[in-house]
Amino acid sequence: MATSFRAELRRGAVVTGKWKQGIYRVERLLGEGANGKVYLVQRDRSWYAMKIGFDAIDLQSEINVLQTLAKQRKQGQEAYLYDVDDMYAPDGKKYPFYIMRYVRGLRLAEYLKQQGPEWFPLVGLNLLNKLSKLHEAGWVFGDLKVENVLVADYGHVELVDYGGVTANGKSIRQFTEIYDRGYWNCGPRSADPGYDIFSFAVLCIQLHEPKRLHQLTAELLPQNRSSADLMEIVGASPALRPLSGWLRRALDGQFRDGSDAALSWRLLLHRKDTHRPSSMPRWLKGLAAGSAVLLATSVYWLLRNVL
Amino acid sequence: MKQILLITDGCSNVGLSPVVAAAHASSEGISVNVVGVLDHGDVGELGAAEIDEIARAGGGLSRLVNMRQLSQTVQMMTRKTVVQTIQLAVQKELKQVLGDGSIEALPPEKRGEVVRVIDELGETSGLKVALLIDASASMKPKLAAVEEAIRDLMLSLQARQGKSEIAVFHFPGTRNGDDCVMDLNWTSHLNGVQAIFPKLQMGGTTPTGPAIMHVIDFYRQGDYGRHSRDETDGMMSGYVV
Repeated sequence: MATSFRAELRRGAVVTGKWKQGIYRVERLLGEGANGKVYLVQRDRSWYAMKIGFDAIDLQSEINVLQTLAKQRKQGQEAYLYDVDDMYAPDGKKYPFYIMRYVRGLRLAEYLKQQGPEWFPLVGLNLLNKLSKLHEAGWVFGDLKVENVLVADYGHVELVDYGGVTANGKSIRQFTEIYDRGYWNCGPRSADPGYDIFSFAVLCIQLHEPKRLHQLTAELLPQNRSSADLMEIVGASPALRPLSGWLRRALDGQFRDGSDAALSWRLLLHRKDTHRPSSMPRWLKGLAAGSAVLLATSVYWLLRNVL
Repeated sequence: MKQILLITDGCSNVGLSPVVAAAHASSEGISVNVVGVLDHGDVGELGAAEIDEIARAGGGLSRLVNMRQLSQTVQMMTRKTVVQTIQLAVQKELKQVLGDGSIEALPPEKRGEVVRVIDELGETSGLKVALLIDASASMKPKLAAVEEAIRDLMLSLQARQGKSEIAVFHFPGTRNGDDCVMDLNWTSHLNGVQAIFPKLQMGGTTPTGPAIMHVIDFYRQGDYGRHSRDETDGMMSGYVV
């Protein structure tokens, strides 16, 4: 596009905010989004993530969303946005940046590869809960995809890249084709909770059958793309088949919102757990183990906060 | 807000320079965006330079993409240009307040307020996009991707809260002397439109500049062909002095 970003920040580079004089030392590049780069930085011996925007208006628009979210944040929740400022890069140009909480974690696909696929149902549930919190506050995440989900220890989920977050009823600000409801002729490209849940369903397919999904997008004529094609992949996949009822509802927009979808996801796992113990897939056992760990962690936190 | 989105794969070779035509558009308040579609090779140095220059003159954006990226590029460019157009308008309004007039120069808190206004206007104000498609012989294998991109753009525009319309043109025309032909008049949905380019005969010259002028004239008249049908020189009358 018109703006090209050459300002590479090296390890050890010091960034000083133009307006508030915050000083940050750059550690390494964490990732690159649609509208900026994210670096790991240090200030006063604490780690943060710094997003540098390619375009001031574009980044500010994202910051506005984050600031509104911060105002809606309930007590006890950890702060997400710490600082907003401008910097001068080594090339002499001015770039806007903001400082956010650094989330230690792995990208979703990597996490499941390392920790095992039995973590998938729990991670999925945590992700749905995360989305439903956004939905309750009147927002839609928008650009939900495998790359934008970080998983920390014990399946704790964080969403990254808030560039797509859109207020209910407006047009989705940023999306990725294969996760997009409109791309599959399954509904409008405007923000409602069902938009995220659709993307979540595609994310499940992308995690388990990435090759088939890619093949499908290459084969189908645009006007013929439909949720039935996605369901065909689900039906042919042993890992996805147990979820097929849930996925069909997600793709057809039958869930009211994130919490409805999360509830149904939980019930589904639970029901299979009790009724068909013999055919219980490995990952369902993982869910039980995961829940136990989660419970233990919650109890630990509870005690720690009380004492 | 008015935009022209030119999709081409090479150099113009007939008539008025497309750069001059794009500058005309800009002076009429129409932004010109240009997408250069590559196949296996590229558009050549000359083509790339022209594409860049047209967008510059037309106050828009330019990009070279392959066919797979076409839909997303068209969608993203249109969106960016909407923001840019509003940004310019807001900047003008705020000139007295902002001093040097640039939103980037404001401290982040103030910038936040201005951007909130820009975002709101970008979502709610009316938008017209005239798509101008190069249908010279080399574009033939790319037309399916172009049609997909148009449908995809319509989908994105339909999600906006403001009224959004598109019109589609291709060039050159089939008859001799036709620089440009309309395929689709202003519409805000493509329901029921089976094919945007039915039985298109491709080939001939690449009159990019005259085609842009044709679309400017279309914008100016508001209603396609109402006045110019009877005139012997057709669309040319609007701008030939």
